Amino acid sequence: MNDRILDFAIKYGFLILLVGLVIYFSLSAPGFSSPRSAVFVLQSVAITGILALGVTCTLVVDGFDLSIGAVATSALMLSAYSMVILEQPAFVAVLLCLLIGAFVGLINGLLIVKFRVPDLLATLGMMFLLIGLQRIPTQGNSIATGMSLGNGVVAEGTFSQAFLWIGRHRFDFFVERLVPMPVVIFLVIAVLIWLFLGFTRHGRLMYAIGSNERAAGLVGAPVNTYKVVAYMISGVTASIGGILLAARLGRGDIASGNNLLLDSVAAALIGFAVLGAARPNAFGTAIGALFVGILLQGMTMMNAPYYTQDFVKGAVLVAALVFTFYLSSRRTGAGH
Amino acid sequence: MPEKALEIRGLLKAFGRNQVLKGIDLSLESGTVTVLMGANGAGKSTLVKVICGHHRADGGDLMLAGRPFSPADASDAISKGVVTVHQSIDDGVIPELDVANNLMLDRLVETGSGFFVHEGKLRKEAQKVAASMGIDVDLKARVADLSVADRQMIAIARAMARAPKVLILDEPTSSLSAAEANRLFALIDRLRDQGVAILYISHRLSDIRRVADRILCMRDGSISGVFETQPLDYEAAVTAMLGHRMTEVDISVEKGGAPVLELDGIRLSTDGNRFDLSARDGEVIALVGLLGSGKSRLAETIYGMARLEGGEMRIDGKPFRPASVHDAIAHGVFMSPKDRGSNAVIPAFDIANNMTLPFLSRFSAGSFLQSRRLRSRSREMNERLGVVCQSETDGIGTLSGGNQQKVMIARWLMEPCRVLLLDEPFQGVDIGARRDIGRQIRASARGRATLVFMTEIDEALEIADRIVVMTEGTIAGEHINENIDLAALVSDISGTEAGLAGHSA
Amino acid sequence: MLRRNFIALAGAATMALGGLPAMASDMPAPFDKPEDVTIALVRYLSTGDFFQAYLSGVESQAAALGVELRVFDSRQDAALQADMVDQAIALGVDGIVIQHGLTESMKEAAQRAVDAGIKVVAFDVNVENEAIPQIEQSDYLLGKMALDQALEDNGNAFTAGYVYVPGIAPLDRRHVAWEEVKAANPSITEAAQFGTLDNPIANSIANQARAVLQANPTINVVFAPYDEFAKGVKIAVDEAGLTDDIDIYSADVSTADISAMREPGSAWVATVATNPAVVGEASVRALALMLAGEDPGASVIVPPTLITQSFLNEQDIKNMDDLGEKMPQFRHADVAMSDWMPLPPR
Repeated sequence: MNDRILDFAIKYGFLILLVGLVIYFSLSAPGFSSPRSAVFVLQSVAITGILALGVTCTLVVDGFDLSIGAVATSALMLSAYSMVILEQPAFVAVLLCLLIGAFVGLINGLLIVKFRVPDLLATLGMMFLLIGLQRIPTQGNSIATGMSLGNGVVAEGTFSQAFLWIGRHRFDFFVERLVPMPVVIFLVIAVLIWLFLGFTRHGRLMYAIGSNERAAGLVGAPVNTYKVVAYMISGVTASIGGILLAARLGRGDIASGNNLLLDSVAAALIGFAVLGAARPNAFGTAIGALFVGILLQGMTMMNAPYYTQDFVKGAVLVAALVFTFYLSSRRTGAGH
Repeated sequence: MPEKALEIRGLLKAFGRNQVLKGIDLSLESGTVTVLMGANGAGKSTLVKVICGHHRADGGDLMLAGRPFSPADASDAISKGVVTVHQSIDDGVIPELDVANNLMLDRLVETGSGFFVHEGKLRKEAQKVAASMGIDVDLKARVADLSVADRQMIAIARAMARAPKVLILDEPTSSLSAAEANRLFALIDRLRDQGVAILYISHRLSDIRRVADRILCMRDGSISGVFETQPLDYEAAVTAMLGHRMTEVDISVEKGGAPVLELDGIRLSTDGNRFDLSARDGEVIALVGLLGSGKSRLAETIYGMARLEGGEMRIDGKPFRPASVHDAIAHGVFMSPKDRGSNAVIPAFDIANNMTLPFLSRFSAGSFLQSRRLRSRSREMNERLGVVCQSETDGIGTLSGGNQQKVMIARWLMEPCRVLLLDEPFQGVDIGARRDIGRQIRASARGRATLVFMTEIDEALEIADRIVVMTEGTIAGEHINENIDLAALVSDISGTEAGLAGHSA
Repeated sequence: MLRRNFIALAGAATMALGGLPAMASDMPAPFDKPEDVTIALVRYLSTGDFFQAYLSGVESQAAALGVELRVFDSRQDAALQADMVDQAIALGVDGIVIQHGLTESMKEAAQRAVDAGIKVVAFDVNVENEAIPQIEQSDYLLGKMALDQALEDNGNAFTAGYVYVPGIAPLDRRHVAWEEVKAANPSITEAAQFGTLDNPIANSIANQARAVLQANPTINVVFAPYDEFAKGVKIAVDEAGLTDDIDIYSADVSTADISAMREPGSAWVATVATNPAVVGEASVRALALMLAGEDPGASVIVPPTLITQSFLNEQDIKNMDDLGEKMPQFRHADVAMSDWMPLPPR
């Protein structure tokens, strides 16, 4: 009987908590329970959610990518640079960002599988490298139309409407102009990664590599290739996050991207606890991101100051980790 | 009358349902080298781990110098005078520190030692320890830069810095050259003269002949033989260790059809001996040999994990030189590796996903998995091998060792292949599961050549048409599994040279 | 040290002769031989447009004087910044500009520099030393002037959202103005206060602001006294389609801010700013006055300028250079000046 309750708590605990939160905020924060508010939540988690889905892929192969935040801000700066200073059209900017994301992922992967640098260290190095690199072309200045390039030359390029559309367009969905483009992209990527990890043989092999790399190699799985691919997925999703950020801000803003990293890692780790998976999974990551988003939206609506929000994020993360590592291990222990 | 340093009576230890030690009685005397022999899985490591405080005994008595001894952990055992040098040398040394610091390491963790390290004093004491052990290396050298033998000596010297009553050496020569081993034996002689009781674990007969005062054999969690009258009967000791009681399994020997896998003058290392082997269609060959006999290396070579150092391999008459595991599988060579826990089982997966892992592409449309087909196929295999479980979606961790191994074997029986390699398929497997697996392997043997790599003779007798003995990286003998001459087989295994020398000693 | 004092005295003596045209040969000592003068800029904060512009001001004024400038950048490491002051002392520089930092860590280091006979000015950090003049952009005035404009535009009764993160010195000083204005105008309702410094700040603020606007539909004025805050609020207002209902008042300005304010229908109606480059120039000028033996006063306050959306539109101002051209009080602040002082070329 106790085992049943434990099983149920592990499996549905987080989802029940999520529903509880929604009900609580709906009752106590006026305006929380509206389609608009729901979309706001989705929009506020879209970018970190996309990054978190990428990091989930690296977690699946028992890796870790600390460079995602820096990749996102690099993509942000690169898109601004290519449109404002090089005066390229939107599709070139997007393409460049995606290529850079894939390239950074490739380098991360090669550092890890070929040069045997531990994942945390390789991606940490990459993080610093990118944070510096993205500032070199503009000597640490933000990029915006009309900025002075020295010698009296002024940057004439602008963020093209097509590019801004990616970050700002809203689709009609029951209510007019309701669902913003980033939310659609987030949901599409979530579904793609969910399908890829959960339902393709590639995803299955990646989980096998994460669980027992040696055993996976001995059944003939190309372990190194899959690891590199995982980091490339992570790099590409991070650069998509950066593109959306650029399109939303409308300028190439100097920022470290550290919070993007921490928030998305938190979402991915909270995802471990969803449905008692006890392992990285795309559905859990999306729910984890949503969980944090709902919490922050509700608390902001109730005028909670900013530092309590960090505190609550931390508390949720710790609770999720306890769920994952303590309760789940007890459950498998009991199953013996 | 030598004093009893350590006495063990009725020692029991189980992991879950697996009873590893089934009532061990043994005693170690001061100034004596007792050799403990035992095949893989006999329980030697568990016994050592109980004595040195890694595991708690479930039952039985341990007496150290006449007083009850139940170490709480490794450092407790050390402080009471029982010191162990483990098989893997780097467990015994800190590679990044210099020699002096390594020698004095245990002093540093002692409670009551000062907070600051007194560098000069530490070096002086290290010098003393090194001199007393006859170690001649630069005390400032980083241990990682030393040879294996020097590292081994330092691990032992480290142990001796505590002036132990009992010293346990777990396969100490497994990575030493002959000259290096001789230095180690000289050290052992010196310690014996100092009155230390030494438990020496090995199954290298040449070592055993050099150092043993008495021999204990372990088998299946019990002591299967004690040899202490001089001259020691090494042949009998090997027999006691390997066991060869006749099995209840009847084998109708299969001669086999056309040759499938041919090894032509191959060698496993650059200075190894060349040998030939031909495995025929439908035949099951057991390759038996002790640890380090080269049988695992052979398996790895055929499976594309290790480089072929000379000669030629052919499959169905065509040259075969796999570049990788992936390549080997593509050529129809499958292998179930030894140590399933680290080499085969995916702990996060359920039975079905573990079983189908190598053949996912056959259960997918495009890249998408067809999980219903995958599950029903695995259900089928479960029934065929008699895997005891509630359903194919049970986590692999919920199964017993034998059932886990059945899943690992089923993994490779699922699809037809040309050559099936099974490395220690009965490791950590109970007798019932062993019979099930053996029956399946024999029943499905037609259409491929099957090579089973194992240490235990009676396992080989249960499964093989032909038993090929390996020692020192080459083939030492071949026996058809029909009215087999066990004495000849055992002497092949213990190494012709060692066996003969054993007789003459 | 003796030598330096002597030079300072000599400088003062030359000054007494006075009133000569500003040519290098006629400059007061030590600036008659500017190539022998070295000054150091010791920075605590450096990342971001504001600090970049401040640095460019310091550089251009130093170049105008012809002195050598060494820049030490501690990247928000307070202990390192103090060490850097000592490094500058060891290098034998003639003057030091301390840019930001913590009172606790900089107080003693600054005193050591003064003891070594080095002239020191401090920008935006109180080092509690009478020998060290404070260069300030008046954060209080930044807040006050923006709020005065809000009162002028919206009358003294409105519902406000306020973006604030306590514990950040310039924001705390701007906060004083908000408290005063609220006290003086009881009909102002503060419906919500929010804020965060999570990077990227504008994005995080946008997420918060949207929740706030959703929960408080009556808000018609947002006081966001930091341009990153204002940018974030503007994104939220645009996304919520409330551009016509809400006015944003802020502080600070940059090229990107100008284009955001000038977007058609932008809710960001006014900002108040001090040109960070001008502050940088004034910092160096104050230091130069001290080296020449003059007294810049205990504090040098660079006055802010009100910049409204309508002004930007009327004058068709696209970037900071345009702004300086069309608004001379923004390009140059007439503080820490002297007859001989050369100014950067415009």
